[in-house]
Amino acid sequence: MPKVSSKLAAAVKCSDEFNAAACMHCGICTAVCPMGYEILPRKLFRYVQVGLEDKVKENIPNIYSCLLCGMCSENCPAEVNIPENVRFLRKYINENEFNLS
Amino acid sequence: MAQKRRIGVYVCHCGGNISDYVNVEEVADAVRNDPNVVVSRTHMFTCSDAAQQEMIDEIKEKQLDGLVIASCSPKLHMFTFRGMSERANLNQYQYIHVNLREQCSWVHTNDKVGATKKGIHLLRAGIAKCELTVPLNAIRIETKPRVLVVGAGVSGMRAAISLADMGLAVFLIEREAEAGGWALQTGKMGPEAQDGTDVVAKLLTRINQHENIMLHTSAEVVSKSGSIGDFNVSVRLPGDETVSLNVGAIVVTTGFEPYTPQTDEYGWGAPGVIPLKDFRQMLAEADGPLMHNGKPVRDVAFIYCVGSRQLKSESCPEPNSYCSRYCCLATTYTATLLHDLEQKTGQPVNQYHLYRDVRTYGALEPIYEKARTGGAIFLRWDPSNPPQVTTEGDQLTVKAKDHLLGGEELEIGADLVVLATGMRPRENDTLNDILKIPESKDGFYNEIHLKLRPVETMIDGVFIAGTAQGPKTLAESVASSLAAVAKTGGLLMKGYVDLEPLIAKVDTDKCIWCGECLKACPYGAIEKVNVGEKEIAFVIESMCKGAGPCVPVCPHNAIEIEGFRDDQITAMIDASIKELETK
Ligand SMILES: Cc1cc2nc3c(=O)[nH]c(=O)nc-3n(C[C@H](O)[C@H](O)[C@H](O)COP(=O)(O)OP(=O)(O)OC[C@H]3O[C@@H](n4cnc5c(N)ncnc54)[C@H](O)[C@@H]3O)c2cc1C
Ligand code: SF4
Ligand code: SF4
Ligand code: SF4
Ligand code: SF4
Ligand code: SF4
Repeated sequence: MPKVSSKLAAAVKCSDEFNAAACMHCGICTAVCPMGYEILPRKLFRYVQVGLEDKVKENIPNIYSCLLCGMCSENCPAEVNIPENVRFLRKYINENEFNLS
Repeated sequence: MAQKRRIGVYVCHCGGNISDYVNVEEVADAVRNDPNVVVSRTHMFTCSDAAQQEMIDEIKEKQLDGLVIASCSPKLHMFTFRGMSERANLNQYQYIHVNLREQCSWVHTNDKVGATKKGIHLLRAGIAKCELTVPLNAIRIETKPRVLVVGAGVSGMRAAISLADMGLAVFLIEREAEAGGWALQTGKMGPEAQDGTDVVAKLLTRINQHENIMLHTSAEVVSKSGSIGDFNVSVRLPGDETVSLNVGAIVVTTGFEPYTPQTDEYGWGAPGVIPLKDFRQMLAEADGPLMHNGKPVRDVAFIYCVGSRQLKSESCPEPNSYCSRYCCLATTYTATLLHDLEQKTGQPVNQYHLYRDVRTYGALEPIYEKARTGGAIFLRWDPSNPPQVTTEGDQLTVKAKDHLLGGEELEIGADLVVLATGMRPRENDTLNDILKIPESKDGFYNEIHLKLRPVETMIDGVFIAGTAQGPKTLAESVASSLAAVAKTGGLLMKGYVDLEPLIAKVDTDKCIWCGECLKACPYGAIEKVNVGEKEIAFVIESMCKGAGPCVPVCPHNAIEIEGFRDDQITAMIDASIKELETK
């Protein structure tokens, strides 16, 4: 069973960059994303918010394939800054998974 | 046949509500020549001022001594026409109401001939009853300008102050050594960010300064007698001293008991699984990062609806099916308190709120919003799949399903699991035996009507307020205690109360005191008295509601309800079947 990572949860909570609290899970972003992955961005953000680090790691290829085109945030009714959130995730993975800094 | 009477009969069109389906002229004609009927006519709107004035004039002019109005439900206009009768110098209990709308025209819209026949039967029954009426007077009780308030939680304290401000003398009785109730243990409370102990301290200052309030702590009610307007209550004070208080009304604010989970229910019993109350205390006492077992607290899981909204099952045969109302507010507010502490100490704490529905209704929604945007994670659970709490060493694990991830299961490692336990009715057997306030199916004291009469009980002169009546937030508790104050003031400030005389009456010749009526009476209104050598039943006028369960059980036909006497009922039946055709 996937476990919640206290570390990821805390990192998300304390960050000014990642903010998906306003997301109401309508799925518009997923529908308009040109990459067409089911996971981007709605479900991915829920994994991040809840702190399911393993699930996030499983999706590293998706996170890096995002075009940062902003189609999603342009259409998001809750004004979630999605590309900014993706950038935060990449930074977190670079530091914690690839040991880059 | 009883003595000759002079009865006026008025049949109402109700602007068509009745006359579209019942031939009201035919109804009025049918009884016009009855022996005791002096006048029988119709009105377009009987309740209109003009029609009332015409009836008043006619009652006076023709010296009528009985009145029958066939119109809408008595629930709508009985008091209108009682008032009108008095204005026409006719005793109000000699007016009889016949329901020709709700019980006839509205239910027989497809059969005018049949409805008209039925209308005549109903009217004849009304006339027969009217023929046997006697003038009655309301029972006037003088009320004492003093109130007993039982239970000095926030609800009781607040009620005491406002009653005293009205000029009534108030005795405030608290069982514990200290007044305040649960508010003493709730730490900072939402949504106003007031400390429970401060709220209590402020109320207590006002109470101690008020010359009209007498507060007794470590005190309990031991007996009660009398009835509305004039109760005698004995109260035991510390040191086994007993005082006797004479009061006009009693306000019961005995509060609630927090639900105690069963062993293993959401990990209850394991170290680190605590009720919300204890967590609030931890927050109130924290002067740095939260610590548990010598370690800083990093992850907290909150489980909502513990002991509330339960479903019936084998492990829970008697579920608390109601919502406890305060806990969504209290728990989301606790989330914001934890955010504040986080800001202060710089030590992040992850919060997982496992809820069923967030019921931060009305103006409380911003609290939830603040909790959520502050970073608390909300995960919804379904009663068929409640969260599971397990322990390994001192590590607590909560397993849950996240419905926003399509029901994917996840595991949360938590340092503390906080249970938002609901409200239960307080165990209060002694008091319940004394006051006999009916309880609702949830076990709280029962009001007469949740919306229309929310603080009155079936016992006249006894009011309920705060969480004793049902789960409430602090603001709701205070609102209900002020409602009880308004009702109590309305009763006592006038100095007297008029009660319906339509109550039980014992025939002292026939009664042989068998006690059957006493057993049947749900209001305790019957007593045994001695009249000379003989023991008979006696009806306490101020307590009898005229409900009548005593009547059919009497083996000697010795007890009757005034206004619904056997001779009246028999006459009504005879009259209504007078014109029935036998096929
Ligand atoms: C952990 C927790 C957190 C809460 N947080 C919030 C919040 O944030 N916001 C909010 O609005 N509400 C909150 N509440 C709810 C709030 O505390 C209650 O609504 C309020 O305290 C109810 O007051 P009360 O006077 O009706 O009842 P109580 O506080 O129960 O007072 C009843 C009093 O009657 C006394 N009594 C009982 N029986 C007798 C008897 N036979 N004779 C004499 N005395 C008797 C008791 O000793 C007690 O002092 C919280 C409650 C809890 C438990
Ligand atoms: S920014 Fe990324 S997630 Fe958003 S639409 Fe473009 S590719 Fe998809
Ligand atoms: S469009 Fe915006 S609100 Fe809708 S799911 Fe995507 S991020 Fe959430
Ligand atoms: S008395 Fe009743 S039935 Fe007659 S007009 Fe008034 S409301 Fe209608
Ligand atoms: S107020 Fe909230 S936590 Fe409390 S019983 Fe109702 S839904 Fe459950
Ligand atoms: S049941 Fe009848 S006979 Fe018996 S005590 Fe009551 S009134 Fe008297």
